[in-house]
Amino acid sequence: MPAFEKAELLREFHWNPDWVTAVSFLGSTRRLFAGNRLGEILEWELPEKFEPEEEGPDPIRSYQGHDNAITKLLSTKDGKELYSASFDHTLRRWDLETKPEKEEKIVLNAGTIYRQQFKRSGKKEEPVERTVSVCSKSKNLGGHEEWINALVLSWDETLLVSGDDGGKVLIRERSTGKERQSWEVEGWVHALAFSPDNKQAVVSERRPLVFDSAQRQAIKLWDVEKGEELKDLTEEYKKHYLPALAWSPDGETIAVGKGEDADGIIWLLDAKDGKQRKKLDPVHRYGVTDFAFHPDGKHLFSCGRDTVIRIWDFHEGKLVKELGKPRGGQFKDWIHAISLNHDGTLLAAADMAGQVNLWRLA
Amino acid sequence: MTKSTLCTPAEHLHRRSFLKGTLLTGTGLTVANFGNLFGSKALAAETQKQKKRCILLWMNGGASQLDTFDMKPGRPTGGPFRPIPSKVDGLEVCEYLPKMAKIADKLAVIRSMKTQSPGHPDGIYHMHTCYKMSERTPHPEIGAVIAKYCGNMDADLPSFVRMGPTGNTGPGYLGPDYSPFSIKRDGKLPNFANGGVKPEVEERRTELYRFLEEEFAKSHAAEPFENHRLSKERAWRLMRAKEAFSLGDDWEKQKDRYGDTNFGRGCFQALKLIEEGVPFVEVGHDNYDSHANNFVCHKANMQQLDPAWSSLLIDLDQRGMLEDTLVVWMGEVGRTPKINNRAGRDHYVKAWTIALSGGGIQGGQVYGKTDEDGREVTEDPVSEGDLFATIYKSLGINHRKKHYWGQRPVWLTPEGSKPLDKLFA
Repeated sequence: MPAFEKAELLREFHWNPDWVTAVSFLGSTRRLFAGNRLGEILEWELPEKFEPEEEGPDPIRSYQGHDNAITKLLSTKDGKELYSASFDHTLRRWDLETKPEKEEKIVLNAGTIYRQQFKRSGKKEEPVERTVSVCSKSKNLGGHEEWINALVLSWDETLLVSGDDGGKVLIRERSTGKERQSWEVEGWVHALAFSPDNKQAVVSERRPLVFDSAQRQAIKLWDVEKGEELKDLTEEYKKHYLPALAWSPDGETIAVGKGEDADGIIWLLDAKDGKQRKKLDPVHRYGVTDFAFHPDGKHLFSCGRDTVIRIWDFHEGKLVKELGKPRGGQFKDWIHAISLNHDGTLLAAADMAGQVNLWRLA
Repeated sequence: MTKSTLCTPAEHLHRRSFLKGTLLTGTGLTVANFGNLFGSKALAAETQKQKKRCILLWMNGGASQLDTFDMKPGRPTGGPFRPIPSKVDGLEVCEYLPKMAKIADKLAVIRSMKTQSPGHPDGIYHMHTCYKMSERTPHPEIGAVIAKYCGNMDADLPSFVRMGPTGNTGPGYLGPDYSPFSIKRDGKLPNFANGGVKPEVEERRTELYRFLEEEFAKSHAAEPFENHRLSKERAWRLMRAKEAFSLGDDWEKQKDRYGDTNFGRGCFQALKLIEEGVPFVEVGHDNYDSHANNFVCHKANMQQLDPAWSSLLIDLDQRGMLEDTLVVWMGEVGRTPKINNRAGRDHYVKAWTIALSGGGIQGGQVYGKTDEDGREVTEDPVSEGDLFATIYKSLGINHRKKHYWGQRPVWLTPEGSKPLDKLFA
């Protein structure tokens, strides 16, 4: 049977006070986290088995501390640590062990309730209230003074790498938080990825000016130990903003996604020399937003502004399956981010429409 | 159609008179936009005495009021930028305008613009003329009006200079004499200004050309020929004064303050031209039309805007010129409170913001108010006509000045327009 043939949408967790912008499973647990544009983080505890006739589950906890958009969420494989990056210039490590401080009511459809006050007709929705436990203990790891758009863990989880709109790339030891290396790029850090041997990073930059010579798009390979530029790959991609980067677990491939444009191309680069190896087809219309490599080491997942998630055999450069459908046109929502669980059986997607979509892959 | 360049009856000249006037100068040195062919000596003396100037910082595409000077943090319309306190109580500004925050006491922020033209072409026309584009009368844009009423008739330099993305509405019924002189978006002169022949050769060619043109005009008194001649005159006059456009070492010293960008250089160029006596300079800044990715677009733009605009105001102030120089910050539209699902904001004219400084405007105040989400004006709505009446008042121009388009009377601002008197010191 072809891979992912039976992939199906299991649940849509509606949560629309604002756009859902980040999502992450917590290691090998059944805990799922999502962040939104307001800086809120919610947690769902997923059941071992999803019964078709049942709904939910409802969110159980809210994590409070950020006051601006969550851009990235990621966790360690042991399920003990959750990290979040935000436009509020902070990078936080959340304490998942301590007892919640209080309980609070949240309105899952607060966005709908707000918007319907401006509608003259149509059915009015009632507020969907749920009670969640509130946790607010987190440590701001510091180091940034601008929007943090990029955050990755090294494959061995010893290093935490982040990048911001001030152009700063910061590498620190995860266990101690101590800075290992940092450097500045000329533009804003748009995305970054880390090689499995912890020796290299690929960083894409932007300065999104229109009709202005100070506009900047760049992509470069960096020596992590020295903080020095190894290779400038920009020439081939100089007219493109590249908001999605990922380094394959085998270290051989770098996936590069083009964003904010009609044709969201995915290129696969040879990590040895940065040369383009494959260009995947079809494109994500209006731009790629995120990547995730499947634990099987064979498949790459991509998502974009076309509200579609695609599964690729990245060795062959072939499309394996599409999840979801384009909602139509550039004026529709987009999928901000995706996360695979530890064994690659579940996929969660952060949907701008104000929901987390949960897919069963196997 | 014969186009009238006419204003008041007293200024209502026949083309023949116009040509005669030109010929009377002998060398043809009194020419359009470089001097006021129609102006009396008394009027010229008055404008000279006033020395009123205006710099228009044009935010092409329409900057977002909610992401600059009328922020709504914590509201669904608020967006990701955070307000920071400014030097003025009650005026918080975007975190990406920190230099402007420090000199907010020089700003009068009008948060209650309520205008009528939501598109780019009609908005650009409307916010340059204070009249709707759909009207059949070709209204002059603000730069042409200021060139006419504040221009120096003896100057070699143009009275209306623009650079960058600004639109080009034109001088309308005031005629080509008040057309803008457009330079490059970085403030440098167009390529034609860098002639390849020696000055004395250029001078001989010019004299010969003038002679031929004048002889030709005696028997071919058609408007296109005259316009062409005027354009040539402009170019020659400019050659004589082109050093004023050379920033030289000054820019090297100032570029870190203004920002080494086209807009930064443009603002510094505007300062230098104003110093040289040019009454109106427009500097455009691209591109605020952020239907998608509004926030990164504005963030990038504000990082150019903030150092350039603040340095310009500080330098005008330090030179003692701010009192007589009105600096207007505006575009053709505001942007929607609603953030669309391309992370963009669309055009919005029901409630938006512009800012004024100098020119007798009392800084450190906020005029008008919008509701908690920025959707509606709740206090002191300001129309295009009111804004232009305010600008003209600042420059000593009667905003209800009557002109003529053919036989039809027209006024600088629409009926009912009133200056915002509260803004004046």
